[in-house]
Order: sequence, then structure tokens, then C-alpha cells
Amino acid sequence: MSQSYLHQGSGQKLQRKLLGDWYQNLQEAPQRGEKVAYLFISGNIGELLQACGFHLVYPEVNALQCGIKKVAGPNILSAEDLGYSGDVCGYVKNDIGLLTGGNQMPQGTVLPPPDLLVCNYAGCATYLRWFEALAEFYQAEMVVVDVPYLRGTDGPTAEEKAYVERQLRELVTVCERITGQEFDPEAYRQAVARSAQTEDLWVDILQSAKRKPSPIDAYFEAVFFMAPIYVMRGTEACLDYYRAVKEEIDERVQRGIGPLAREEVRILMEGPPAWPHFRRFWEMFKKWGAVSVASTYSKVGGVWDLGFRHDPDRPFESMAEYMLGCYTNRNWGMRSDMLKSYAEEYEADALVIHSVKSCRSFSVGQADLREQFIREYDIPTLFIESDLADPRYFAEAQMKNRIDAFFEALKHRRVTAQV
Amino acid sequence: MYAAGIDVGSTQTKCIVLDENRNICGRGLRMTGADVMKASRQVFEQACELAGIETHEVGYTIGTGYGRFRVATGDDQITEISCHAKGAVHLFPKTRTILDIGGQDTKAIRTNERGEVVDFCMNDKCAAGTGRFLAAAAEVMGMDVSEIGPASLQSTQKLKITNVCTVFVESEILNQLGRGKKREDILAGVHRSIAGRSASLLRRVGLDEELTFTGGVAKNPGMLDAVRTRTKLQVNASEDSQFMGALGAALFALERELAGANRQEVQS
Repeated sequence: MSQSYLHQGSGQKLQRKLLGDWYQNLQEAPQRGEKVAYLFISGNIGELLQACGFHLVYPEVNALQCGIKKVAGPNILSAEDLGYSGDVCGYVKNDIGLLTGGNQMPQGTVLPPPDLLVCNYAGCATYLRWFEALAEFYQAEMVVVDVPYLRGTDGPTAEEKAYVERQLRELVTVCERITGQEFDPEAYRQAVARSAQTEDLWVDILQSAKRKPSPIDAYFEAVFFMAPIYVMRGTEACLDYYRAVKEEIDERVQRGIGPLAREEVRILMEGPPAWPHFRRFWEMFKKWGAVSVASTYSKVGGVWDLGFRHDPDRPFESMAEYMLGCYTNRNWGMRSDMLKSYAEEYEADALVIHSVKSCRSFSVGQADLREQFIREYDIPTLFIESDLADPRYFAEAQMKNRIDAFFEALKHRRVTAQV
Repeated sequence: MYAAGIDVGSTQTKCIVLDENRNICGRGLRMTGADVMKASRQVFEQACELAGIETHEVGYTIGTGYGRFRVATGDDQITEISCHAKGAVHLFPKTRTILDIGGQDTKAIRTNERGEVVDFCMNDKCAAGTGRFLAAAAEVMGMDVSEIGPASLQSTQKLKITNVCTVFVESEILNQLGRGKKREDILAGVHRSIAGRSASLLRRVGLDEELTFTGGVAKNPGMLDAVRTRTKLQVNASEDSQFMGALGAALFALERELAGANRQEVQS
């Protein structure tokens, strides 16, 4: 950041407070006799479950928090002690290690056990096994919402939407049985309406990166800013949060400041970050003045920038559309087209692919993506590998070498293009 | 006017000193060991001694390789990927693709006519199919690493080594020896296996025009032959192949030094 300004850091500070309160509230839920549902981020149905009276736990968010707080490594080793293989997803192993160690988060919160597990995430068979393991451990009920993978390029079909919508309505009856509380359709409708408003703000924030310089790093900063819209979408606090972030970003725009003192290179980022080494990972890009102007990971919780909004007039149907359209439920043609359009709209100089060992849903196909961007689109593309949870897969010297070599070459390419 | 390039690799540290006409006038080489700064200083002094100059006569030095940030006398650092491209195009101007097999890395680099990197690809994080793999194979055979290339060329029977893992190669070779297979046939299989792995990396960046083979492993005639056979291309290799990174760094250093001298002239 090149200079101080009025709303500096307010997005980060508020995010920490919101999440802190969120966890605190969760911890106290069982004492109040309130029910808890576990679910996944991508295509999550938070609004619906909250309208059924559930508190929400997102084990993926817990895993990334453990990654940042440097406790994912020991948690993963605990899971491996139980017999989980080295090849199993780091998020899963972190969660297994966490629960066998007492389910206490690094900041001190003790996570409540689930009364219901909702496997809402399409495109990852491992996640299904993850919740099966939790269901057995906690002896909790589990519901799988089957979300068909998008195979065509025209988006979900009417049959696919109807199929998912029917499952959501069936889920409501399960929720009512578990909570002993009647589903509140009006509360759900209002939450969905707030979601749509929040989504407008979030899209504005992300699209501000089309400016030069970009006022936001749409990866390294966006992955923090995105947390509330992923975990507490539909709440008043969430809507207020994005109003505050928008203020901060608007002020940056007015003052012409960006996340770095000088924007040298505009990059697109594909893949999740290396959470256990987040700062060092970002530093490797900062050094070259590289600012992310668009990323796919900031869309894993919802692809709103391509036009989708939750709709209070069609709360169930639009929820089904949302689940079907989540990033990792899109086929590779759609994912690649999305990145290609980002390259044009955000005037990016290069694509960086961070491939993670844990998540095959994300990573399979990335080698082909690299080939396509280099050969067909002539967009310089860097391919680097580590992991989103397991600190052992981060080879700093090798990664730094690749990043340095890539930006060196990019710099040469620019200089020679000017000659 | 002199400039130097120091390449601190995972296995060896190399230094090249150039005069202002880009002629190599001194080389230095030693094992890297644990003390990177000491290794870089020693190769620099060795190269200056061979060049018949005092170390202070070198106006600009660039460090490259994994230990580039620890080069005692370095003015700046550039990755070995850029340096290998620069060095290879200097020695073989028609080079458009470079295969660099070093101690722990295999790199395929695509370059333009000015020696600038257009694209590159590296082996994944393990050392499968790198120089370390060949060293492990030599060790199992009880041979010096310099002997295995020539021995592999004596092979009469084609034998497939499927494993390229530096750790598991030992048991694979012992298994083949136990089956009564000849040493040179096993070694030829080892070389072919690395060439196959390297070729897939090369195809990812594109095999254009001339291919230049750099890094310490390029000194191995068996590997050179296996890469030629696999790629069906004319493969350039120089006596200085293991110095290619240091040479590229020295060329960058000389450019910087000349640019600096020009600036000073204009100012005065």
C-alpha cells in the first residue's frame, strides 16, 4: 500500500471481527439448545438452513483457518496416524485431526458437533467420504444433495434445476424433523433478497479490478474479503460488511491507490492459495509488482460476476441454479472460457496456475489449460504446485525459482516488444 | 573490463569470467557443499586466477542457481532459467529449445533469437530423472558417474527401466542385475528412461529448430545419444555445458556493466 487513507484495512479488520463473533456464537449454540448443520462452501445453502433454525459450520473454512494459523500440519499428521494416506485431501485430514484432538480451533473456539451433515458440494467424491466419516464419528444424520455436473456449455438444463430444487424441498422436511421447528419461508425469502443485494456489492468490488491500477488484489486480498459472503450470506451483518468493503475500495479508487505501491504486471490467478504459507506466497508476487486482477478461487463460493443472482421471487429455483453453477461444477470448457474472458476484460498480462495436490476437482485439467493459454491465446502462463492445507508440499526455493524466472521472461518480453 | 557469472547449483558451483569482447577468460568449478558463500567466493577467485586478473578488476557479477542470493560478490541475481537460455544462444545462435539437466532439476526452455525465455517447463518437485538419479544409478553399479555414459553406449540388448525415482532406482537396478542382465544394458535403459521423461517436458514447450543440451548431465555421452535418439534432432552440446548458467549470468553482467559505462560516459 503506497499511502495511508481513511478506510485503510477496514475490510480486513471487520472480517476478523465478524468471523470471531460467528465462531463464538457457534460455540455457544448447543448450550442454548440450538441445532448445528455442517455443510460445504461451494454452492452452499446457508440461507435455507438458517431459515430452518440451524447454525452453520463449514469444515473447509476451519481447515483453511488452521492452515493460516500453522496448525494444519500437526492435524494432518494426527489423521495420518489414524491411517489416512498421504494422498488424501489435506482439508479432510485437517478436519479429522482437529476433531480427534477435541475440535478446538486455533483461536480457542470449540466447534459444536453436527446435528445434520449436508453434502451440498458437487464435483468432489472425496467430500462425500469426508462427511460419511463425520456422520459415523458423530452418529449424525447426513443428507446428500446430488448436483449434476455441468456437461454442456449452455448452463444447467430445466430438468437439472428441477431435480436439485426437489431435493432442497425434501431437505426442508428433514430439517424440520431435526430442529422440531417449522421452516420459515418468509425468513428464507428475506435472506435470499439480502443475498442478492450482497452479491451486487461483491461483484462491484471484484470488478473494480478492471481499473488501472487495480484498487484491489482480486486474489490475495479477495480471498479474505470473500469469507463473509461464503459463510454468512443472507444475513444483515454480511450485507453491511460488503457496504464497508465497497467504501474502502471506492476510497482507494478515488485516491488512485492499489494493493501495491506500483502495479507492474496484471495477473489472473487460477487455483486455491497456499494457505499454510500465505504471506510468503504473496511476497513472491509482490516482489515483481504483480497484482491479481481476477481469480477463480474468489468464485468458488459463487460465480456472481457472470450474472447469476439469488432471487427472492424464486428462492428455491434460484438456489438450485446457484448450486449447479458453482465454479468447480463447471466443465473445463466453461472454466477456460471464463479465464479467457477475464484476460480480455481485466487486461491481464499473464495467467498463473497454482495447482494443489489436495484438490483434484480444481487441479485436473490445469496442465491442458496451461497449454491452451500459451498455444492458442499466446498468454504467458506459469504453472506452480503446492497445497492448500499440507505445509509439506510447499518447496519454497523451487517455487520462488519458477516465479522469478517467469516474471524475468515477462519483463524481457515487454522490453523487447517496445523496441 | 571484465564481468562474471556465478552459478550456485544444488551439486556444483560454477563461475565464468568474460572480457569485454564476450570471450571466456576464466572458469571456476567446485562442489557446492554446505557453505554457499565460501563456494561462490572460491570459484570466483579460481576463475579470476585463470583469467590472470585480480578479483577487483571484475566490474559486475551476477549470481544464478538455487544459491544465487548467497553469492558473496554478486551485484544482482537472475534465475538459471534465463541464464541457460542466454548462454546457449550465445554459443549456438540457432538454439530455440534448451534441455538443462542439472543435479535436481530438469528444465525445458524455449527461447528466441536474442536468448530470452519464451516459455519453460520443469520436472515436478521430486528429483526423478535428474542428474541425481544418474548419480544414484552409478553408485549402485559401483561406478564413477563419468563412466556410466560411455558404458551405456556399449549396450547390445534393449532393456526397459520403468522407474525414474531416484530412491527406488537402486532396487530396480539390483533386481535387473539379479535377473542376470548386463550392466551396460541396464545403464542404457536408465539413460533412455531419462530421455523419455525429458522429451515429454520438451514437447510441452515445443521442440523448435535447434536443441541445445546444457547442465552437467550434458557431458554424459550416453545421455546425449539417448536424447538425440529420442528427439530425432541434432543436439548441440558444448564442452562448457555445465558452465552454461554461469556463462549466461556473465553475459547479463557484461551487458549491465557496458550499459553502466555508457551511462557514465554520457554523464561526463
